Amino acid sequence: MKRALSNPLAFAGFVIIAGIMLLAIFAPLIAPYDPNAIDVQAILLPPSSNHWMGTDGLGRDVFSRMLFGARISLMVGIVAVGIATAIGIVLGAISGYYRGWVDVIIMRLVDVMLSIPTFFLILAVIAFLTPSIWNIMIVIGLTSWMGVTRLVRAEFLSLRGREFVMASETLGARDGRLIFKHLLPNSLTPIIVSSVLGVASAVLVESGLSFLGLGVQAPQASWGNILTDGKEYIEFAWWLSLFPGLAILITVLGYNLLGEGLRDALDPRSTK
Amino acid sequence: MALLPSGLLNSAFKMLRRNLHPCLTACLTACLVAAFLLTSCGKAPSPSAVDYKIAYEPVNGGSTINAMIGEPSGLIPMIAGESAASAIASSIFNSLLKYDRNLELEGELAKSWQISPDHRTITFYLKPKMKWADGEPLTSADVLFTWKLVTDENTRTPYGADYKLVIRAETPDALTFRVTYQEPYAPALDTWAGLQILPKHLLEGQDINTTPFARNPVGSSYYQLEQWRNGERISLVKNPLSTQGEARIERLVSRFIPDAASQFLELMADNIDSMNLNPIQFARIFPSRPDLAERIGLYKELGNNYTYLGFNLRHKPFDDIRVRQAINYAVNKQELIDGVLLGLGEPVSSPYKPGTRWTNPELSPYPYDPQKALALLKEAGFADHDGDGILDRNGKPLAFEILTNQNKQREMTAVLVQRRLKEIGIDVKIRVLEWASFIGRFIKTGEFDSVLLGWSLSLDPDQYGIWHSSQQAPGQFNFIGYNNPQVDKLLEQGRLELNSDKRAKIYHEFSRILLEDSPIVYLYAGYGLPAIHKRIKGIDDPAPPAGIGHNSHEWFIPEPLRRNEISAR
Amino acid sequence: MIKYLLKRLFWMIPLMIGISLISFFIMHLAPGDITASEASFNPKASEESRQKLRELYNLDKPVIVQYGLWLKRMGTLDFGTSFASHQRPVFWQKTDDQGNVSKGLIQEALPITLLINVLSLVMIIAIALPLGVISALTRNQLPDRAITLFVFIGFAIPGFWLALMLMYWTGVANDWLPISGLHSLGHEHMGPVAQILDTLKHLILPVFISALSGLAGISLFVRNGMLDVLHQDYITTARAKGLSEHSVVYGHALRNALLPLITIFGLSIPGLIGGSVIAESIFAIPGMGKLFYDAVLMRDFPVIMGILTIGSALTLLGNLLADLAYAWADPRVRRGVMR
Repeated sequence: MKRALSNPLAFAGFVIIAGIMLLAIFAPLIAPYDPNAIDVQAILLPPSSNHWMGTDGLGRDVFSRMLFGARISLMVGIVAVGIATAIGIVLGAISGYYRGWVDVIIMRLVDVMLSIPTFFLILAVIAFLTPSIWNIMIVIGLTSWMGVTRLVRAEFLSLRGREFVMASETLGARDGRLIFKHLLPNSLTPIIVSSVLGVASAVLVESGLSFLGLGVQAPQASWGNILTDGKEYIEFAWWLSLFPGLAILITVLGYNLLGEGLRDALDPRSTK
Repeated sequence: MALLPSGLLNSAFKMLRRNLHPCLTACLTACLVAAFLLTSCGKAPSPSAVDYKIAYEPVNGGSTINAMIGEPSGLIPMIAGESAASAIASSIFNSLLKYDRNLELEGELAKSWQISPDHRTITFYLKPKMKWADGEPLTSADVLFTWKLVTDENTRTPYGADYKLVIRAETPDALTFRVTYQEPYAPALDTWAGLQILPKHLLEGQDINTTPFARNPVGSSYYQLEQWRNGERISLVKNPLSTQGEARIERLVSRFIPDAASQFLELMADNIDSMNLNPIQFARIFPSRPDLAERIGLYKELGNNYTYLGFNLRHKPFDDIRVRQAINYAVNKQELIDGVLLGLGEPVSSPYKPGTRWTNPELSPYPYDPQKALALLKEAGFADHDGDGILDRNGKPLAFEILTNQNKQREMTAVLVQRRLKEIGIDVKIRVLEWASFIGRFIKTGEFDSVLLGWSLSLDPDQYGIWHSSQQAPGQFNFIGYNNPQVDKLLEQGRLELNSDKRAKIYHEFSRILLEDSPIVYLYAGYGLPAIHKRIKGIDDPAPPAGIGHNSHEWFIPEPLRRNEISAR
Repeated sequence: MIKYLLKRLFWMIPLMIGISLISFFIMHLAPGDITASEASFNPKASEESRQKLRELYNLDKPVIVQYGLWLKRMGTLDFGTSFASHQRPVFWQKTDDQGNVSKGLIQEALPITLLINVLSLVMIIAIALPLGVISALTRNQLPDRAITLFVFIGFAIPGFWLALMLMYWTGVANDWLPISGLHSLGHEHMGPVAQILDTLKHLILPVFISALSGLAGISLFVRNGMLDVLHQDYITTARAKGLSEHSVVYGHALRNALLPLITIFGLSIPGLIGGSVIAESIFAIPGMGKLFYDAVLMRDFPVIMGILTIGSALTLLGNLLADLAYAWADPRVRRGVMR
């Protein structure tokens, strides 16, 4: 971690993510207004000292909505990736450890899932479950575990050929011990890296869903739906699209820089 | 090769490296964005000094380009069904009757019509010497053929029911078409204004559901199809044989632009001549952009539909009229009109266009009166017994869900309604759904508390399908389960009464009971907000009740104001 | 080799059935059907007529029966016709007995999407390759950092937001590029060269937007690949032999670093036919993404299944091609495959 942060870009990413998380956590303390407080007299006001980021079509304070939206957007990313990673680790571990027909079946399942467009899955499932923040997180999670599965499987396969694993295997270590003591801890690095990058994608997926009207439900704010609200007035009510657009950009960038920095620093091949 | 610049860059940027800290990221992006915004401030395309205010003599020729959200699936309206299809088909086909500028029926293909003394038979007399665009004569045989098509079991049209009420249709001669009903059917004339007549000589023997005619129609109205580029545009060109005389504008191009934001950009860049605006564009953007207002005219027309909050009357507590009325009092309609429509709409208190004869002038919406709402709720047994800020009765909190479809205005409306109801202690949740799920999962099954939807403000007052208690089966339109024997009786009477004055009385009474019963809360009827380039002249302003487009065949484009003809083709 | 190929091809059959089965059930999981369209929500439209339509399309039968019927039709490679009232063929044109040609939906949308995606792939490669190489050669120095930052910004910008801003900038504020659509209105009256230029002008923004988000992946891939290779023994050997840095980098390292790219291209074949709904809506381009999205919203089952089937067949073929190409290019893998 330390080495990762000596990379200025990774450090920047870390600072960005930490900063935004703090803002999200302390949103109720920082926000000058109730994010859902409607003021029909104050529709679409440009940024001013009263409303730092202006107001939206219902006169709600955009800055406060951005802060509370950060909670939603970050949570969507993290929980969705958490679900995907959990599924990915379990399936990947089973696949890579036991191999044989289990492996074949899991890998074919991965192939199947990869050839059905994620967007279709999300749309169909959301139509079925009806959109809510939890369903969105679950759906994004359920449709993005394939990469982690492949990754974990590959790590397991290559680790099993390594001496220390073979040694404890010949010493009669049980499966569970082997998996949790040796294999999993040693494949954590790529899993972490891919999770961090996955969060970035999930944040973008959420904004895309909002564009299609399938995102987080009103009146709750997310960056995606604030941005979508503003898209028809991109040059008139520019504050409605600029701030959420920048927030998404910076956050996704932060996760990417952090993830890539971690990869670079933790990758044993690049130590020199 | 690549080493050279990178080596150079290395030394050159060595100093800068130190500065590469987190802020840089933000700075860079901010610069990027600022660049866009800055450049966008420098507005360029100022049309060559054209004065749009000069009066011009009407001339023929020129083209207009308008934008549409969706593409029609075909141009036979009875089959295609969607609004995009009828919008274009109405320039190609004629009906027997049409609504004039004041929404009164007048003849279109029919020169006149006669209703028999027993009110069961209508005889239409067609205008003489009418021709299809291909030169064949248009006669009563075509009308009869179209009626047969729309009532044919094999025709996949959802609109056949009205025409199946005709028990006999006949053509005594080439210019006379007569229909007989089992019993008097007052909405009949309205239905004949809605059936566009198709050419028998081209469609006979074809399968109407799959005929290539749908994509290559021959009609009788002002325009005929020139070209249809799938997914891109449809262009219509003047029909010299039009049964209605000649239109002035030579060519109408409709471009399909699914995204409203892109449409507006095209309008600003002067690539399209007309589109429908939303209230923010109309009331905020245009006033702030004199350069736009200089070349684009804004119009207001009476909306075609109203938005309402409808209760599922089969669910508690909406079976209690006091609860429904309380909610009606608790919703501030003016606030909705000001907030969602920026004032560009009006309240309604009956399901008819304000100002038309079917509207009961004595009715007015429930005023905003939270005290009265609370009193009514108290009477119904609701009070905040447990002190959680939410009213309750028998330990059950007064909470429900508003269901609506993906529509920005409806979503905003729901949020405002939610806020007002919360103030008097009603806990409301909002659920927004994509249309097919909305219908399939909730409306059809009746598993909803309340819906925020719209109904059209119909031209014929008959509302049997929406309010009669017999229309509650899954898939029918009284899905809120309204059941009032008095209303049922009025609706039945109204269908039999052909005298307009007596009919109006019936529907005034119907509207009164409906308003009092409060099965739905009328929220508002938004205006239609067309924006049309000022190069197009001859537009009726202010718009008559029939809307801005009622005389579009008289619109014209003075030659000096036309676009480059090549690019408009 | 042949045996391996046959085995892979054989595997595709159960996979295809699995994919179609899952898609079919997911599709029917979502509530509503073609008769629940917004247009039919009209008191003038009767429920009987909708029921008739449901029967006509077998929507009243159990899902498994519908799937059987679909599979039976697919057995003869018949993709069917759309449920929408135009009833156009899903995949390829059909000619009726009077010689009227009805173009297939996929037939019309696919070339457009393919064109955009191929152009953007070319653009990605043209930009990402040099960026990746420079990045690797200046590892952890300023150019590397700047490039990394740049490609990530490209990835991180919400596409539709950037698209709208660029449309405003190049189309409204300045008269540089067309805003939306695929052809100008006078397209038919232009000469062939002008026609091509006209189309290209309309494609600049959509291609740029879609390339921008793909830049990060490829350029980092090239960068990391190069870094891997540059530490290999044979590069050290080459350097030791006194070869110029230029020929070390471009003669040896780059070529080897590019090998894995073959896999990426194989994997991107299916991606080439899937358009983006958001970009296509904004730019008013009638491509695959919009076709698919509209079909899903309308519950136009034959179109949904048609696109998914073609998409998954191409994905599986793409996987296979990628593996084969990789094997052909890299002798070490070839041996592994042959086994």
